[in-house]
Amino acid sequence: MKNSKTIVELKDIVKIYGEHVVLKKVSFELKEGEIHCLIGENGAGKSTLIKILSGAVSPDSGEIYISGKLIKNMTPRLAVKLGISTVYQDTELVDSLTVAENIFLGEEKTKNSGFLVDRNHQNEQSRNILEALGIEISPDTLVGELSTAQKQMVQIAKALHRNAKVIIFDEPTSSLGLEETKNLMNLVRNLKEKGIGIIYISHYLSEIFELGDRVTILKDGENMGTYEVKAVDISTITNKMVGRDTSLFFKKRKVNIGEEQVEIKNLSKEGIIHDVSFSVRKGEIFGIGGLVGSGRTELVSMIFGIMKPDKGEVRIKGKKLKINSPIDAIRNGICFVPEDRKKYAMLLGRNVVENSTIIYHEIQQNNLLNLKQELNLCSSMVKRLSVAVSNRDQLIEELSGGNQQKVILGRWLFDEDAILYIFDEPTKGVDIGAREQIYELMTELAEKGKSIIMVSSDMPELISMSDRIGVMRNGRMIEILENKNIKEEELIKLFIGV
Amino acid sequence: MLNSLSNEILPKGKKSIFKNQWFFLLLAEVVLAIITGVINSRFFTLSNLTNILEQIAVLGILASGMTALIISGEIDISVGANVGLVTCVIAMMIKNDISYLWVVIIAILLSSFNSFLVGASSIAFKAPSFIVSLGFLSIFRGTAYAITKGVFQTIYGKFEALGLTRIGGLLPLGFLIGIIIYFAIHFILKYTRLGRHIYAVGSNSTAAYLSGISVVKTKLYAFLLNGFLIGIASMILLSRIGAAQPTTGTGMELKAIGAVVIGGTPLSGGKGNIFGTFLGVLLMGMISNTLNMLRVNPYFQEVVFGLFIVAALAVSAFSSYKGTFKKKLLKS
Ligand SMILES: Nc1ncnc2c1ncn2[C@@H]1O[C@H](COP(=O)(O)OP(=O)(O)OP(=O)(O)O)[C@@H](O)[C@H]1O
Ligand SMILES: [Mg+2]
Repeated sequence: MKNSKTIVELKDIVKIYGEHVVLKKVSFELKEGEIHCLIGENGAGKSTLIKILSGAVSPDSGEIYISGKLIKNMTPRLAVKLGISTVYQDTELVDSLTVAENIFLGEEKTKNSGFLVDRNHQNEQSRNILEALGIEISPDTLVGELSTAQKQMVQIAKALHRNAKVIIFDEPTSSLGLEETKNLMNLVRNLKEKGIGIIYISHYLSEIFELGDRVTILKDGENMGTYEVKAVDISTITNKMVGRDTSLFFKKRKVNIGEEQVEIKNLSKEGIIHDVSFSVRKGEIFGIGGLVGSGRTELVSMIFGIMKPDKGEVRIKGKKLKINSPIDAIRNGICFVPEDRKKYAMLLGRNVVENSTIIYHEIQQNNLLNLKQELNLCSSMVKRLSVAVSNRDQLIEELSGGNQQKVILGRWLFDEDAILYIFDEPTKGVDIGAREQIYELMTELAEKGKSIIMVSSDMPELISMSDRIGVMRNGRMIEILENKNIKEEELIKLFIGV
Repeated sequence: MLNSLSNEILPKGKKSIFKNQWFFLLLAEVVLAIITGVINSRFFTLSNLTNILEQIAVLGILASGMTALIISGEIDISVGANVGLVTCVIAMMIKNDISYLWVVIIAILLSSFNSFLVGASSIAFKAPSFIVSLGFLSIFRGTAYAITKGVFQTIYGKFEALGLTRIGGLLPLGFLIGIIIYFAIHFILKYTRLGRHIYAVGSNSTAAYLSGISVVKTKLYAFLLNGFLIGIASMILLSRIGAAQPTTGTGMELKAIGAVVIGGTPLSGGKGNIFGTFLGVLLMGMISNTLNMLRVNPYFQEVVFGLFIVAALAVSAFSSYKGTFKKKLLKS
């Protein structure tokens, strides 16, 4: 490792948005066959740095060297040509094309006429690549039918097909379940063996310690240092990252739990959810765990009125609810933070103020808006959740991933009369410091007597926050556990069903 | 106290004016005015300037409705045909000496109903409003032919107040109505919940739905609002030209859409404002006027008009490149 060649070198990269200096002379280096982790708080500049490397964003100053050669004008096209591929979270694949067509997109193999696409050949080659990676996906499935994890795998296959020398992962595991995370990490090791250089961004420090060779810490756009992972411990890293010690397990305060407040009875939807019943008490956090695809998200979207159940009912304070749409759910005091924020929550092209007060206006039902009051509400939310936002006109898509999540979560805090909060992966993409803030917030809600349903794939989160844990498997809630000394391994066994 | 806090945490964003679409529009308008004025000094006469204002009143009202509709993520290309049908119907009413009160009521009801039909069909059949309104374009135009039997409907000397009054002998009443409508739409978009709904639905309708907003209602309101304004525009138009025929209003939707887009409201929805539209309409009006002033051959005018629209769009595309373009120029 020590004497392997350097493939990527970034020197004194500066990036400025408006008056906000996002990267302050950051330097970064990647060697062949190295897994170089990049960590830092939300808004530290990680995504921006790799976007500069992949040509999606152009730096204000600084130099990019690929295999020792200075690249003056990096563009996405040139980056691909130089062997730099990025595996994005919200994948860049075309849903209506097959796996093979996606892998070959832009460089279709043609038959000798030079005009018709050679499907068989493409499928054949794709199958080889996928098999070599140990990925069990047929090349002629439509990408739209794949899960997030599978889509990421296809992106990796696509990168390899393009002879990638560098593969960048930006929070690849934040929407993956346990098994999938494991598979992905094996795959990443596999790529490393092939001599590919890997840049790996994640908020899960355990992954860094398991995978990484070196780790670089960014804070407020500054490089706080690069370390050999072997020679560094967690507290050094968190100290450099957030400026204080943080533990991976959150110690939740004890909250008094009251009477039953929310009741879910025999909820069913053919082929998706089978006869699920459970209840949540006042001040209780009811965790829902399970593998990806076990029906967790479908279950909560039925409670919120997005999907209509064939049978079953939702009761709040003993009253049976008629919920035909999210509008009814909200009127009955149900809040919902969805997992896929870009698709289901963010008003793209609108600013942070509008994005954070949308629910407030629906609850108040005032036809005329009070813009001053709105701004104050937004500011108080920004302060409370320490959202990194530079001004009131900043668009939601211009925030970093974790800060977007905070705004999406924050918009529900203005609903004073809410009874039930449903959080689907509440800390997706959120840094470890901010994660504690969100846990604190959930604890406060519980103390106010709210009921909380929390779907989570993050084991430490599930175990440290839940009062009880409902385990979902194949659309059924097979068990409800009191959270007393539950071990991660036991839970996983229940999830998988062995 | 709270206010100073919010100013501290969320200060106003500072945006360079070179990144603002309206800066370029205004610039284009000033340059155009100077050039035309130099070539033909009649351009800056009071009568010509009020002429321009009178001519852009109708387009401005149509473009205002179109702005809200496009922000909501929809579009209506039957607007011109709708204007044609409404002007024919009310012209026939006026010819038959039906009271003006009924004329006004029918104009607004009919145009709103037409627009509502377009919106409701598009929503009910889950078809893009572009296609649906293309169908309705034919229906409206055809109906106008059927009821007029293709005959020119003139109303000489009647119903003139709306289109020909000049307040203080100077300011055209139609233009004043237009200005009031700009302000009204601005108010709706910025200060009402309906306005927020329009932006939210156009930006991400799924997210809007999950936030408790009725997407269907919001879109129908946007269509109705557009229809209402089409009614007003039709009356002003008829009053000004004193006659109607089935082809009246042809192509107006394209000019309105052009003005909206030049004004910085993208067809993809969720963004934009009425001030840009106002400048877009003004530019359109000035171009027409300039072409007349410079005595450009009418056949050729269409071509020049189209070129201007393309040029304006090119400028706005460059300005939204946000300096990356400039940087590339500097580097190479
Ligand atoms: N297009 C943009 N316009 C203005 N500011 C931007 C834009 N893109 C990013 N920023 C700002 O740059 C900073 C760094 O963002 P970046 O996405 O790189 O953070 P990150 O380290 O990836 O954070 P996270 O862990 O939350 O994903 C943020 O404060 C963000 O608000
Ligand atoms: Mg990021």
